[in-house]
Amino acid sequence: MTTVRSLDTSSADIHPIPFFNRQRLSKIGLWIGVILAVTWVVYPLAWAVITSFKTQLQALEPTFIPFVQFTPTAENWTQELGLGGRETFASLGNSAIISIGSTLLATTLGTLTGYALARFKFGVGNANVVSWVLSQRFLPPVVTIIPFFLILQNLRLLDTHLGMILVNTTFTLPFAILIMRDYFAEFPDEIEEAALVDGANPLQIFFRVALPLALPALAASAIICFAFAWNEYLFASVMTNRNAKPYTFLVASTSTVRGVHFGFLATRLLIAITLPVILSLFVQRYIVRGLTLGAVKG
Amino acid sequence: MYKNSRAGKFFLLPGVIWILAFTIFPLIFSLVISFTNYRLGRAAEFNNLGSYGRIFTDARVPETVTTSLFITTCSLILTMLMGVGIAWLFNHDIPGLRIFRSVMTMPLFAAPIALGFLGLILFNETSGSINSMLRGIGLEGGAWFIEPWWARFAIVLIDTWQWTPFVFIVVLAAMQSIPQELIEAAKLDTASSWLLFRKITLPLIAPALGTVAMLRLVETFKVLDIPLSMLGGGPGAATQTYAYYIYITGLKDFQLGYASALSYLLVIICIVISTIYFRRMRSRYEVK
Repeated sequence: MTTVRSLDTSSADIHPIPFFNRQRLSKIGLWIGVILAVTWVVYPLAWAVITSFKTQLQALEPTFIPFVQFTPTAENWTQELGLGGRETFASLGNSAIISIGSTLLATTLGTLTGYALARFKFGVGNANVVSWVLSQRFLPPVVTIIPFFLILQNLRLLDTHLGMILVNTTFTLPFAILIMRDYFAEFPDEIEEAALVDGANPLQIFFRVALPLALPALAASAIICFAFAWNEYLFASVMTNRNAKPYTFLVASTSTVRGVHFGFLATRLLIAITLPVILSLFVQRYIVRGLTLGAVKG
Repeated sequence: MYKNSRAGKFFLLPGVIWILAFTIFPLIFSLVISFTNYRLGRAAEFNNLGSYGRIFTDARVPETVTTSLFITTCSLILTMLMGVGIAWLFNHDIPGLRIFRSVMTMPLFAAPIALGFLGLILFNETSGSINSMLRGIGLEGGAWFIEPWWARFAIVLIDTWQWTPFVFIVVLAAMQSIPQELIEAAKLDTASSWLLFRKITLPLIAPALGTVAMLRLVETFKVLDIPLSMLGGGPGAATQTYAYYIYITGLKDFQLGYASALSYLLVIICIVISTIYFRRMRSRYEVK
């Protein structure tokens, strides 16, 4: 490299390398592209944040810059999260109970079933079972909503936390099973075989050897299940009305109660999306695999 | 590792029984009432295939299917193109890549119902920032909430915003798993990065692209939360998707029999698509 350059010095005097050479230009282009992409993702959220600090009147004007174009107010936030926000905290609590409950159930069941599908050979064919589990994700939720309503009605579980936990577990379980199956399937089973040779039974191997090694995948599947349960609206809107109403339901009822109050709406939608979005930052490594149900390796 | 043993069943069965219990009954129940004229509060009578016959004479069906197909097609094309494009950008040597990538994945985990409202704020004709930006560069603002096709396209844009990051991270993962030697070797033959992309990268990420397209196809066709919260299916019924129509028929008009018949049409479509998909994926799921 250095020799080439020293040979070139004479010619460089004749043809000086321009400041914007090809390489530098393509690098600038690349950065512009990256910045545009990031802006495109962040912009709508930024707009929601700006709007949430506007009064109803200010929200009717397309102004961007707080303090310069409009005087920001925290009234939407204090109204939602302040003393008058009992409904807010009740429904956030419901969301938390439902999401955590169904996440625990789905992850527990999913880990067991995922382990079975990765380590044992079943007569019906493991691929058949996996395909069947996967097919649950292809089922449109709107199809099962009416029969589900009747099930919960017969079990007297309408508008209860338990009822919503059952519903959400059913929808998130395929994710948990497939993420865990995928993790165990790729994990070398030599350690487990060594334990088997040492005389441990399958249960001991699972709890003492396999499970501790699967903790990262367990966390990832839990967070993905949690996000899906937290974001669920359709079933909640049909099967709850007061006691177990999650936050998504409260968000959806915003416009009907107060007309369309943009600032308040923005506040609520930001509260609704914050928790899952933050949690997702911890599972970056598993998002690809989790959301493609194990079909693409991340 | 193990043969089919009692322990294996102990691990397998809880999850399998759970799914069976909570999905087989709903599916059978829907199938049965789809052959009736069941409405809430009224005795059900079997009308054989009457509900299915009605699908073909119901003018709302082709309308809502058209809306669904339009949203699905546009959203699929946009998310795939933008996702691949952004992944290509990020596949270069960029400092702080991990932070940028995390930022890019934020929309994925946002509740769709909330994103519909985000759309309501963004696309509002007078106070929304989209129209004020369009006016800023000298264009006329779009009639997002009045004109049917504008409204449908607004839904497309929100869906695209949420799901482009999905295509992006999957494709980026696929690109990064391409062996570096392969790229280096190809670079000796050509300097054109377009040729490099088309002849080397694209064929190697094709399987991942196929998977993503399949998943998005099914998911977008079922889209309901975003049109529901953004415009309540309006203007008129312009943003009512097929899933939305099932929802109204069953849960607002309480024509449960007919809604179930409509649902089964959707189930059949999803089964066809997923069968094609599984045929490709099968070998991955066998245990050696």
